[in-house]
Order: sequence, then structure tokens, then C-alpha cells
Amino acid sequence: MYRWDFGPVLANADLLAAGLLNTLRVTGTALVVGVALGLALALLRLSRRRLASWPSGFVIEVFRTTPPLVQLFWFYFALPLVAGIEMTPFMAAATTFSIQSAAFFAEVFRAGIASVERGQGEAARAIGMTRPQALRRVVLPQAVKRMIPAFMERAIELMKTTTLVATISYADLLYAANEISQRSFRPLESFTVAALAYFVVIFAASQAARRVERRLAASGDSTVR
Amino acid sequence: MGHRWDFASVLDNHEALLAGAAGTLRLFAICLALGLALGLAVGLARSARSAWIRLPAGAFVEFFRNTPVLVQILWFYFALPILLPFEVDKLAAAALGISLNSAAFAGEIFRGGIQSIEPGQWEGARAIGMTQAQAMRRVILPQAVRRMLPALTNRAIEVFKMTTLASAIAYVELLQQGRLIASLNFNPIEAYTAIAILFFCCLWPLVRLTYFLERRLARSD
Repeated sequence: MYRWDFGPVLANADLLAAGLLNTLRVTGTALVVGVALGLALALLRLSRRRLASWPSGFVIEVFRTTPPLVQLFWFYFALPLVAGIEMTPFMAAATTFSIQSAAFFAEVFRAGIASVERGQGEAARAIGMTRPQALRRVVLPQAVKRMIPAFMERAIELMKTTTLVATISYADLLYAANEISQRSFRPLESFTVAALAYFVVIFAASQAARRVERRLAASGDSTVR
Repeated sequence: MGHRWDFASVLDNHEALLAGAAGTLRLFAICLALGLALGLAVGLARSARSAWIRLPAGAFVEFFRNTPVLVQILWFYFALPILLPFEVDKLAAAALGISLNSAAFAGEIFRGGIQSIEPGQWEGARAIGMTQAQAMRRVILPQAVRRMLPALTNRAIEVFKMTTLASAIAYVELLQQGRLIASLNFNPIEAYTAIAILFFCCLWPLVRLTYFLERRLARSD
């Protein structure tokens, strides 16, 4: 019978905590940049000019269709050589996950904007607003509320996906667990603790998202997926 | 800047790429089949009346949906063998992680699909003398699966993408072979670009199929 010993893992709790902080750092950066870039991509995609809508559609489809790990390796190993720049693991991770989230958020924005009744935009134009004004003051505020559940779901997916950064040696929570496992020869305890730590954080986020979703549903407003 | 692209150095290694493609397809097929079969079992268990069946299935779904797949794969590869009297090879560890994760998500799709069927269908099937199991197999599931098709093809796409994570434990699949080619020929730009294009070409038809199914479903309902 195997004797569990969490001592060596808990002795390195500071490494795990620093790892979790780095996980949150990548997730937070990708979330902020991803939402902003996603809105831009969605607006370009909805544009009537093909010169604007096609390239944006291309970026969205490529980043939604290729595996995230392939993207991460491309940005970490290939892009620095193409562009002649230095890439730290954090920069590669933040860039990859920002653009990738932007592609997913763009589709959420698009569905949200499409879900707002046409009459809303027309009425705004009728009372003299310009198109951007109508979008900013009338359509988007209504669309964003319907997008909240899809946003939260995506943010949670993003946090899970950031574990891939461990493969390019960025010191996130998973990387820290692997480090401790090799140092202490306790892989079972190290990876179990990592799995539980991820579960606690992500489960809490999922429950919070569920609560918000229920409240939105109770308020009678529709949502988009 | 001004990089001279040289894809010949990648194509020279087509044998390595083929081996990688075979590995990717093998892992994909195993995970898709296991994920869907287990997912159906989990979905049925979550719809069961007895709490003894429903609650463990619910715990399984929550745990696997709320932990990252890469953590699960590494756990099965590095941690599980310590509890077992035998080794867990790379294929088994990757297949376990991805299949169980997929089963948790597929379980929710099946549960949602089954619940979306009107109660009258159940009552009708029971009224003409079918048992509960017969009604499920002959009346409910065929209708539910039709509604679930877009969600299920979407799951297949996700599983295909997830197979790349097996490269983290050096299982021979496309991305792992791309990495190998890049390190042997010093051509990471072409190697990783080629891998990205390969994945895009494999997955794009599936993505279009999902869009098509979604549109058809939206029209028929």
C-alpha cells in the first residue's frame, strides 16, 4: 500500500502560490486584451466592406479552428524568427491567448449584436444618432447584457487553457507542480494537489457564473451562446 | 525579416509527419469513441431517478469539467502509475485524460438532449407497451441525438484539438513530430506553420459541417 505524504508538496506551497498568481496573470491579460480585440474583430466582421470583414473573418476562423497548443508553439518558436524579435514565455502566452480569446469573444459579440432587434438600431438612427452612436449607446449595452453568460464560460475555458504555458516553461501552477514533483520525487502528491487547486479555483468561478446566469434568466432577459 | 520560406525541409520528413498523423488519428478515434460511450452512460446516470446513481455521476462531471485536461493527462501519466502495479504508457495516459474529460462534457450534452424531448413522447411509448429502456432506445434517444448532432460534432472538434496535448508527454502525434522536425532541421517557422495548416485542413470541414447542422436544426425546429 502506498503511503501518501503531502509534506514535501506543502513545504513548497510558496512555489504553488506564485504559480497560481502567474496563471491568473496570463488569464487576466488575455481576458482584457481579448475582449477589446474581440469587439474590434466583431465590428470589422460585421462591416459591409469586404476589405474589412474578410481579414477579420480569416483571423477568427484560424484561431478558432487550430489547436491552442499549436498556436502557442508557433508564437513562441516561430514568430520570433519571422519577426526578428525576442519572445519571453509570458509574451508568447499572453499574445497567443489574447488573440485566441479575441476570436472566440468576437463570435460572442457578433451573436449578441445580432440578437438585438433591428428596430432598436433603426429607432436610434431615426432620432438623429450616427451609426457609431447608435451602436455605442443603444445596441451594445443591450447586447453586452445578453453576452454575460457566454463571456463567463469563455473566461473559465481560458483559465483551463492557460495550463498549456507550462509546456514553454512559463512558471504557472502546473509548471510549479511539475517542478515540485521532480524535486521531491512525489509526483502523485504534487499533481493531485495541482488538480485539486485548479478544481477549487475553477469550480468557484463556475458556480459564480451559474449564479449570475440564473439571476439573468430570472430577470426575464434572453441570453446568447 | 525577409525570411526565405523553405517548406521542402519539412516535406523531406514526410515519414515522420505520417507517423505523427497516424498517432493523432489513433488517439482521436479512441478518445472520441470512449468519450461518447462514457458520455452517454454519464448522461443516462445523471437523468436517473435514484440519487445513488445521479450524485456520483454529477460529481464526475463537475470534477472533470472543472479541471484542465493537461493536468489530467499529466496526472494519469506521472501520478497514477504510483498507485498501480503496472506502467501507464503515453497513449493510455493521454487517452484516459482526454476521454474522461470529453465524457463529462458529452454527458451534459446527452442529458440536455434527453431532457429536451417532450414528456408526451415518453408517455406515448409507455402507453403502447414499451418498457422504460425500450422507450429510451427506440423513441427518446433517436430524436434526442438528432438535436444533439451540432453539439456532438463540436465536441469531436474539441477532442481533435486536445490530442495535441499528448505531445506534453512526448506521445508521437502531429505536433510532437513537428517539434522533432523543427529541432532536427532548425526550421521552426516552416515546421510549426505546416503543422498549423495541417490541423486547419483537418478541422475546417468539421467546422463547416457543424455550421450546416446548426442551420438545418434551427430551420426544422
